[in-house]
Amino acid sequence: MAVLALENLVVRYGGMVAVAGLSLEVQAGEIFGLLGPNGSGKSSTIGAIAGDCSISEGTVRLNGLLERDHPLQYRRQFGLVPQELALYDDLTARQNLKLFGSLYGSSGRLLKRRIDEVLYFVQLTDQAHRVVRTYSGGMQRRLNLACALLHAPSLLLLDEPTVGLDIQSREAVFACLRQLRDRGTAMVFTTHHLAEAEQLCDRIGIMEQGQLILSGTLAEVMGWRRDGAHRFGGPTRRRTRLEQVFLELTGRSVRDE
Amino acid sequence: MIQPTLLWELTRKDLLLFLTDRRGMLLCFAVPILLASAFGAIFYRNSEEPIRPQVVVVAESHQGMLSRVISALEASEQLRVQVCDRATARRRLVGESDVVVVILPAELGQLSLSQLTGSTDRPRIELLHHPRSQWEARWVEGVLTELLLRESAQELLVPVLRKRVPLERPFQVVRRSEPASGALAENSFSHSFCGMTIQYLLFWGMDSGLLLLRERRQGIWRRLRAAPVTWGTLLTAKTLSTALIALAQILVTFGFGWLVFGVSITGSWIGFVLMALAAALLSSATGLLVATLGGNEGRARSISILVILTLSLLGGLWLPAFLLPTWAQRLSLALPTTWAARGLEGVTWQGMPLGDAWHCALILCGFSFCFLAVAWWRLKRSEGGVACSV
Repeated sequence: MAVLALENLVVRYGGMVAVAGLSLEVQAGEIFGLLGPNGSGKSSTIGAIAGDCSISEGTVRLNGLLERDHPLQYRRQFGLVPQELALYDDLTARQNLKLFGSLYGSSGRLLKRRIDEVLYFVQLTDQAHRVVRTYSGGMQRRLNLACALLHAPSLLLLDEPTVGLDIQSREAVFACLRQLRDRGTAMVFTTHHLAEAEQLCDRIGIMEQGQLILSGTLAEVMGWRRDGAHRFGGPTRRRTRLEQVFLELTGRSVRDE
Repeated sequence: MIQPTLLWELTRKDLLLFLTDRRGMLLCFAVPILLASAFGAIFYRNSEEPIRPQVVVVAESHQGMLSRVISALEASEQLRVQVCDRATARRRLVGESDVVVVILPAELGQLSLSQLTGSTDRPRIELLHHPRSQWEARWVEGVLTELLLRESAQELLVPVLRKRVPLERPFQVVRRSEPASGALAENSFSHSFCGMTIQYLLFWGMDSGLLLLRERRQGIWRRLRAAPVTWGTLLTAKTLSTALIALAQILVTFGFGWLVFGVSITGSWIGFVLMALAAALLSSATGLLVATLGGNEGRARSISILVILTLSLLGGLWLPAFLLPTWAQRLSLALPTTWAARGLEGVTWQGMPLGDAWHCALILCGFSFCFLAVAWWRLKRSEGGVACSV
């Protein structure tokens, strides 16, 4: 059974359709990259999975559970890493983790052990007692990730988790994500950096105007041709093959949402 | 549905955040104390010392009855009188807003019966005062009228009685403060500690609302909403933490007022506790309302300051409500601050019994629950259907 299954998902804001009949499955141990220009519906899709925005039509199932039927159980299935640094910056890393961990029902020694594990995982053990305000951008991003891992979710929703990071910090975050994938965690990853998707994702979906216009493994997407003939090609001198496909599918005009 | 364990964790988180910012916390307790002390000191007056407006008398003559009137004015216990020339009087009037200048014309020295019956031209006494000192001018006019009538009566009775007899008021005045419940503990600090505490509670509520808006902007609220926590638990925790801190502020502020300025509770102690709880609830309900109606932090702050200052003024938190115009007093009955001030002032220095305090607390809770209902409804609406299914 797929960890995440979207079926004909429609999200409307008033008269505007943000997601138009999206169907998608993500399996355990798979990183699914959701790409698309601004306003293509990526965030609304993540929002619909996380329960942020209301689903107008269709269904979202997590490990077979529907949000409307089992709201609390449903929420235990996923961890959310928002684009913003959703942390209390006046508290220490450990205090942040303790709070967010306790919301999932953990407490006492069990929670402490779990906090130690995720701190070790994101390489922040030595800095756990520092106030988050004093952290570098990379450390805050890693802590942002750690907060979503405390309850060992089967699906991780990553909404542009590398915004503003230098290469070293980004690599550190990617290393964590790869380890999670190896442990069987499914991930939905949105980004504007196609190179990141190439580096990390097992499958990629390109969204445009609320629809998934292309989806497949990295090789399949890179091999896409407008005339329908697939071929596996390497990067050109100026841009990667994925960028070529992306631009061909979504056009070159600037999007302001 | 409320999840008690998570409710405690979320409440504890807000309390921890409050305690972590030590300076902010100290200011939170110090500011209402400083404000209340400053207001109390400004309006402080020794109750033993009678109020006596300052009067500058300019006499155009010292002949006949006029000299006796001036002596009586100087001897009056109700006025502080200084006799001087016109130029000095005018200078003092310009420089001091609480001075009333009385110019007594020379004709006043030669009184006739026709002047008392109004059948001839009466001498004109000029009363000059600062635009702000209308009450003082009326006061002086009243005292002067009594003195002049008394002197005139003496003057007119001389032919009948063949001698001057001192005249007294044909009545006695018994003056006392109401409402009275035995020991009244009213002083300027009693009023200022009640008023400033309530005002600051509203500001604390605003701060708490702004914190919620910040949490939403930073994505923290989104993370909290993504956790298996019910909507009721999240908002109840927010309400509870704000109310607990507000309650601590009330206790610390009144504790200081009691220790330093003798602000005591002459009414029902249970009434005081009820009022404190109701005021704390009002603070947190106002906070949630701010967070939901304000839109963003900047807008919410500006609107809240305007609303809180208006509520404070009309609710009688700065100056007692009876000093306001009648229309404002009527309007103020529809404001929560009026009932908060009425209840807290009642139990502190007006000897309010539990029955009346309970009444004020109940009205205050009514306002709070209305605010909470609007806030919850607005928040739910802004977050969409799925997010609010629990």
